[in-house]
Order: sequence, then C-alpha cells, then structure tokens
Amino acid sequence: MKNKILKAIQSHEELAHYTIHIELSKEGIVTLRGEVDQWQHVVDIGHIAAKVKGIKNVVNDITVKGITIPKKDRSEEIRKVKASGHVRTCDVVIIGAGITGCAIARALSKYQLDIIVVDKNSDIAEGATKANNGNIHPGLIAKPGTLKAKLNIKGNAMYTKWAEELHFACNRTGSLGVVYHQSEWYLLKLLQFMKITRLGYLFKPLRQAMKVPGLKWLSGQEVQKLEPHIEGKPCGALLMTTMAIVEPYDVCLALAENAVMNGVSYMLDTEVIDVLTEHGQVKGVMTDKEVIRSKYVINCAGVYADHIAEMAGDRFYTIHPRRGAIAIFDKSRKGYFNRPLVSFSRTRGKKQHSKGGGACMTPEGNLLWGPTAKEIPDKEDKSVERTDMDYIHALGNHVTTNVKPSEIITFFAGVRAADYKEDFIISMSEKVDGFIHVAGIQSPGLASAPAIAEMVEDMIKKDQGCLHKNVHYNPIRKPRGKFRHMSHQEQDALIQKNPLYGHVICRCELITEGEIVDAIHGLIPATTLDAVKRRTRSGMGRCQGGFCGPKVLQILARELHKEPIEITLKGSNSYVLQKDNRR
Amino acid sequence: MKHITIDVLVIGGGPAGLAAALEAKKQGVQEVMIMERDVELGGILQQCIHDGFGLHRFGKRLSGCEYAERFIQQVKAHHIHVKLKTTVIDILKDKTVFAMNAEEGMLKLQCGTIILAMGCRERTRSQVFIWGTRPSGVLTAGTVQRYINIEGYLPGKKAVILGSGDIGLIMARRMTLEGISVEGVYEIMKSPGGLKRNISQCLIDYDIPMHLSTTVVHIHGNNKLEGVTVAAVDDKRQPIEGTRRYIPCDLLVLAVGLIPENELSAKMGIEIDPKTKGPVVDESFMTSVEGVFAAGNVVTVYDLVDDVSITGEIAGRGAAKYLQGKLNQDTHYQMIHSTNLINLVVPQRFRKNNLENHLTVYMRVREEMKKVYIHGTMNDRVCLHKKLNIVSPPEMVVSNIKKEDISDKGDITMAIERG
Repeated sequence: MKNKILKAIQSHEELAHYTIHIELSKEGIVTLRGEVDQWQHVVDIGHIAAKVKGIKNVVNDITVKGITIPKKDRSEEIRKVKASGHVRTCDVVIIGAGITGCAIARALSKYQLDIIVVDKNSDIAEGATKANNGNIHPGLIAKPGTLKAKLNIKGNAMYTKWAEELHFACNRTGSLGVVYHQSEWYLLKLLQFMKITRLGYLFKPLRQAMKVPGLKWLSGQEVQKLEPHIEGKPCGALLMTTMAIVEPYDVCLALAENAVMNGVSYMLDTEVIDVLTEHGQVKGVMTDKEVIRSKYVINCAGVYADHIAEMAGDRFYTIHPRRGAIAIFDKSRKGYFNRPLVSFSRTRGKKQHSKGGGACMTPEGNLLWGPTAKEIPDKEDKSVERTDMDYIHALGNHVTTNVKPSEIITFFAGVRAADYKEDFIISMSEKVDGFIHVAGIQSPGLASAPAIAEMVEDMIKKDQGCLHKNVHYNPIRKPRGKFRHMSHQEQDALIQKNPLYGHVICRCELITEGEIVDAIHGLIPATTLDAVKRRTRSGMGRCQGGFCGPKVLQILARELHKEPIEITLKGSNSYVLQKDNRR
Repeated sequence: MKHITIDVLVIGGGPAGLAAALEAKKQGVQEVMIMERDVELGGILQQCIHDGFGLHRFGKRLSGCEYAERFIQQVKAHHIHVKLKTTVIDILKDKTVFAMNAEEGMLKLQCGTIILAMGCRERTRSQVFIWGTRPSGVLTAGTVQRYINIEGYLPGKKAVILGSGDIGLIMARRMTLEGISVEGVYEIMKSPGGLKRNISQCLIDYDIPMHLSTTVVHIHGNNKLEGVTVAAVDDKRQPIEGTRRYIPCDLLVLAVGLIPENELSAKMGIEIDPKTKGPVVDESFMTSVEGVFAAGNVVTVYDLVDDVSITGEIAGRGAAKYLQGKLNQDTHYQMIHSTNLINLVVPQRFRKNNLENHLTVYMRVREEMKKVYIHGTMNDRVCLHKKLNIVSPPEMVVSNIKKEDISDKGDITMAIERG
C-alpha cells in the first residue's frame, strides 16, 4: 500500500521530486513526513494518500519550506494548573461550543448526566459556526456513500422539529440548481428518470443521492417564474425543496440556551490544554484554569480536533484548514431572490472538495454570496483577499449581474475543519475508552448537526448500557420576540411594560436597549460587542456599528459592572478602548 | 398609542433640522416639532469641539457645539416642540409618522408636512474594500471622535488614518493633541479630500505626513489590530507591487466618505438620486413626495455647516409655504442637468414660479481645475456665466441664478469650462 501511495504521488508532475516518508499502521492510518515548497502540495499529497483504497485516514506531518507553524508549549501551564489543585468532576466534557458541541450537549441533557461544555473563545459559535452561509443543505452534493451524505439527509429533516422546539428562524425555501446548457439539462433529466424508475439504486455511487427527498425538475420558464430576477434564460433547474436557511449562530445559541435550561454548564474563555487518560480510559481534561474529571470527553474542537486527539493519544487524522469567504449585502435587496441559487453550469475549481457557494440569503433578508474554498496553513487565518471577492462576485454573477459589489455591507471568512478523507469522523476512540471524536465537521456540518448529535447520543447510550432520563428535561426554548418584527401596537405594549424597549440603539436594524440588556443577561450571556451583535443584530446593518458601537459598549460596561476599557470586540485582547483620558 | 397632530415635523435635530424648524416657525407655522434620537439637540456638531464653524453665517470661528447652541437657544425662544431620545421608525406616504421613545412608547403623528433632516453616516471598511481580518481597532473617524470628545476614551496608541476628508484631517490633529501618535494620512486619490485650511491647520502644523495615491490594502491581526499594509496605487487605483509597506499600529481610522442616511426616505418611496444618494429635491427642497421636504446632509453631503443651515432654511420656508397653500405645484418641473465635469447638482429640478429672487445651485466638480467658468445655459441662452479661480472636489460650488435670467420653459444645463 505504501508503494501505491508513493506511486500516486509521483504520478503528479509537480510532486514527483519530493521525498516523502510514509508510515502505515495496521489500522490503515498513513503518516506522511517530508518537506515541500508550498502549502497546496502538502494538501495535495494528503488527499492523494487518503484516496488510496483501504486507507482509513491520514496524519499529515509534511512541512513547507519557510513556514513554521508554531506549536504552543503547554508544559508550564499544565504544571501550574496541576499545582493549583483546582479540580471539578462531571460525567461528560464537550470540547467546543460550536454547532455540534451545543447540539450534542442538548441531546445528552435528556439524561441524568452532568455535562460541561468548554470553549476557548469568549462566546459560543465562534468558529466555523458563525462564519457560514446558514444553508441547511438537502444532501445531494455530499459524496454518495459518505457519512456526510447520510447525516446530511437525516439532519436536514430533523431541522423542522428543532426549529419548532427551539424557536429559531428556519425558512424551508428550497434551493435551485440552475443549468444554462442543454447538455447539462439532459444529464439532470437522466437523474430524474433514474429516480422515477428507481434505477439509480442499482448504481452504488448514486444510491445515496437517490435518497434525497423532494427533488423536482423545473423547466426554464418555471425557473423564471419562481425567480424573476435570475440571469439570462436558464434551460431548467433542479428544485431541492428541502433546503432551508437559518442564522447559524442563532441555531447554536438556541441549542446552548436549551442545554443550559436542562442543566448543562458552559465554561467559556476556557481552553483545554491536555486530555487526561489512564490505562486506555479517558479521565477528563485539563483546562487553562482547572482540571475537569469526567467519564466521557467529546472532541468537537473544530479545526483543533486533531490537536485534541493528539492530547488524548489518538491522533489518526489531520485537519487541514480550508477558508471560506462570504460577502453579505444590504437588506434593501430583501426578496430579490426567494431561495438559494447555484448555477450547476459553472466550472468548479479543480480542487473543490467542499461545496462551492452561490447566491443565498439569510432569514432576515440579506443576500449572501459565497463561500469560497481556499486551503490555508494557519487555522486562525480569517482574512479575506481580493481574489476571494473576485471569486465570490463570479459566483453571484452566474445567477445575476444586477447586484453590485457596492451593495456589500461586509465580508468575512470562516475556516472549515476538513480532514483528508473529506468526511465526518464520528466515533468512539479505538485507543482511549470514553473519548469520542466528532471531527472533520465541515460543510454540511450545520445541516447534519441534529443527526450528529443523535449519533453521539446513541454511542454513549450504547456504551453506558443504560442512561436515566432527566425528568426535568424540557425541549422547548421560549420564543424570543423580536422588536423589529412586531406591529406598532405590540411594540407600544412592550415599551409600556419595559421602557428599555423604547430606546433604539441600532438604527440600521432597529434594535432596542431592552433586547441588548436581555442578551447580556441571557442564559449564555453576551459579554462582547460581537456576542451582542450575534444575539440582537445590533451593528450588523449597513453602518456596521459606527453609530451603535459606542452605545452598546456603554451598555455592556454598565450591565457587567465593568469599565468601558475592559469591554472587548470578541474576547481575548480585542479591547476597543485604551484608556480613560479624562481621569 | 399616543396620537399627535403637528403642522411641521422635522426629523433630526442637527444643523439642518434646527434651521428648518426655526425658519418654518418664523414663517408663521403654528406647531413645529423636532424629533431627535439623541439626548440633546445639535446632532454631530456636539462632538465637533474644533473650531471653524459659522465663518460665513456668523463671521466667527465657532466650535460645532457653539454653532449648534446659537440655534438651540433660538429654537427654545420660538417655542418649538422638541422630542429628544425619540426615534422615527416609519413614515407613510400620507405623512403619518411612527416614532418611539422610552417615556411615551409608540407615537403616531399626523403631519401637515415633514422635513427630513437625518444627516449622513460614514462609509465602512467593507464599502471601500480593505482586505484582511476583522480585529478591534478599526473605527470610522466619527466613532473615534465620539469616543474621544464625548466619552473621554482613547481607542488606540498608534494610529493610521485612511482618507483625507475633513473628519480624517481633524481627527489627525485631535488624536495628536490627545497623545495618540498618528503615523500618517493615506489618500487613494491624487488630491486630498478635505478643505485646504484643514490640511494646513491639522496636518502641516503638526508634522503629520499625507501620502497621496496610497491606500491601506490589508488589515492584520485576528483579535486586536496589529498593523496595516499600505501601498501606492496606479491610475486605476490598483496597488503597485513593490510599494507595499507594513505599519504596526493599533488603530485604523477610516475617513472614507459619508453617505446620506435615507433608509426612511427610500422606505416611504421617495425618489433617490443615485449621484447624491439623497432625495431628488426641487427649489424648495421638496422631495418627490408632495409635502415632504429634505434638508442638509440627507440631500447631499455638504462641506460647510453654513450650507447645511441654508438648505434647512430653504426647506423650512418651503414647508411653511406648502402649508399656507402658497407653493405652486401646478406647473411642470424644469430640470437642472450637468455635464461630465460636474459630479452632482442640487436641486435637481425647480418650478420658476416658486423662486423668490434667484435659484441657488450646489455643484460638486470631479477634479481640481484652475481659472474656469461656471456656465449655465437654457434653451441655448446663457443664464449664468461666472469666473472661478479654482474649483476642487472637496469644495462645493455654489451659484445663484437670477430669476429674471431663467426662462419659463426648458431645462438648465450647468457646465464647467476651462478658461
């Protein structure tokens, strides 16, 4: 098998001259070492190795000449925490408060389990969760046969119940895969024929795709009727009726709040610096503050999942960060398109391992273009480049040339946590009992989250044999009235009850002081400007916080009994103000 | 819900709103009300503690606060209703206005006329496409001004300023005085965006360098701003390779332009001029919705507060006339066009019958030109011909066309001719 991998690498002209050392474990894990000239080659070699039949996954330790990715030495911190003697115990520690971590926490809160979610960031949803386009994919694009494809279709269907119980906006708009060329239209029609005749089930690669419900084939005219602003004259489209759009951070917050209601604890600003194991059994984690002893440790650490796995002594995959940039447009285009659109006709990049984006929208009505997909060496690199925007613009241009870049109110990037198999890794560790990998959760991680949570729930149920029900479990998170969506009468009534709702703080998005104070004192308190933004939308509008920023900062300081100079944009050292110059 | 009936409702208590309310009252309107979101009147002037305001109107160099105070005193003396901490959230075409505050809740106002005076907002980093990350420490000049002058805090130790508009220049001086080291002012255009006097008083006097045809191309730092990369740009405003330079700093001040704040106007269906980004207005500053007027920076961004006050007065007079039935609305509009050296023109149209002595036309030119003629023609006849020593984009050209020179029919075309 080693030779097969070597041969595969050498068959690529660009890669042939590198000396790559390959190790292969009996479980089928490949470890790659060597040095190459550019990051893309590291990723390419990883992918080549992962593709070889029988390979379970790839640990990629290839380095790039001139790039050192510094590894933090934790030994001093570990010594300090040990010396401090701070220890607490629980049943389950979940590392990472993103969408999967929060979904799992909520799912497990059904049982009599003491659960702690830890995250190094100052708020939940700070990783890939906050920075994706909120599409709940139908499950057609995930590669058939993968865990991704299975959990995507399942998770998508589960969103209806989630939204009902947790009261977050979830618009099942459906999406359109539009084709502009006759030849591609025939291909789609062939898929339809195979679906109708159930012929597709005969072909292994198609089996999963055949399970995607709610596919409809539309003629060009029908497409134009549904989307009057669509570019040119499409030949037709595949309508995927199950596509839904959500605000991802909103979903994550709803899950987290419901988990807290049901007894889960959140420890934010808390970084896991070690995973404790004894005799092949996980014993908990060490954070930068204290030791948490637990029976289970669930690794939902996103781009850092491989680091956590290494701490547990079970590193069998490498996360290669893949950055995706998204542009968000002014709300004045609300309703321009009614559902996410992607042109099937566009030529995809040759290394498009994740879904490329298209045109979509948020439940609030902002258009979104993107995301891009770019392999990057640095997991923290969330910068957006000009080339990203050119690509995003091209994506949008496939379905309309009437939305101009000048209407963009902001752009941002998130980093996807891709492994080299390009699939989800959800399994109990084979080396450390009680350590559960939930890794490689890239797109469609958001759509799959409910199914991922269920899978982990089942895993623990099975491992534990029997779990006692939490009799106080309540799946319902109360609906949160949004001032901007109320009638003037309702707004008046609310202000009479609490005058803070009569004070508009963010005028672009019509956000009141009442909502901001609520967010600061919520079940997952918003303690930074960005956290308040994600809870309320203040600063999310066209002025991007120019007017409301100073006001929100004052409210945060007042409500948290802090000085304004202590308030940050997004935790860590992201202070907004330096010092008080008047005292 | 409280119902209120009012003759003239002025939305916004900044310089335009104050002047408009006052003028309407002086013209004999009974019930005039100013609605202001903030805790006091004066608008952005209250954070402008530098001087230079009111040179034209009062012949004195006042601070923004002092300039506002003169109007505020008069507003009080004239018994104009003022609602502070009150935000207008909706205007309907029939001049019903919904506004809210903490004390009274939702207010429903039936207005005889409305004067829009909401001012403008600042362009953000995304709107000028500065690449990189999104750390703290990237703020607009107005926000920095608010933090320093009103709140009393410094948002950084070492600053880079992008944009040489007046606010950027003034903040360069202000930050220097407060002990923030200002590395320099970067301007993507070939010529500065601010008034000459501000370049001299705010940069040259303090040895702050200005870099023309140079811009910030990248922002560094994930949490807190660590630095910016600047680069010289070519004629197409694209960065020139080899000119990139990294500057460590913890504050990037954006002074990259202002946009009239017309969300309420657009929502109620008022026609917006894509050039000014403000409502299309006529000689009385009436918008495309009958009885709704606009004044000040909501119409187009002016350089001088004096002009803002003047347009407020025009709108105030117009509103009063409208209520008194003295505003002619029977005749068709005559248009004011402009040739390509002129970027924008306000007002965009007029009715001759409503003019008193002259028609005031505000224009912004595209580029700096010396020894030019400003030229107005109507039906191939000259209606304005004036020599100007210098015109430049930062300084609005204001010209009065005499009523007797204006024909009853036909449009006016404004042009700049090189001398």
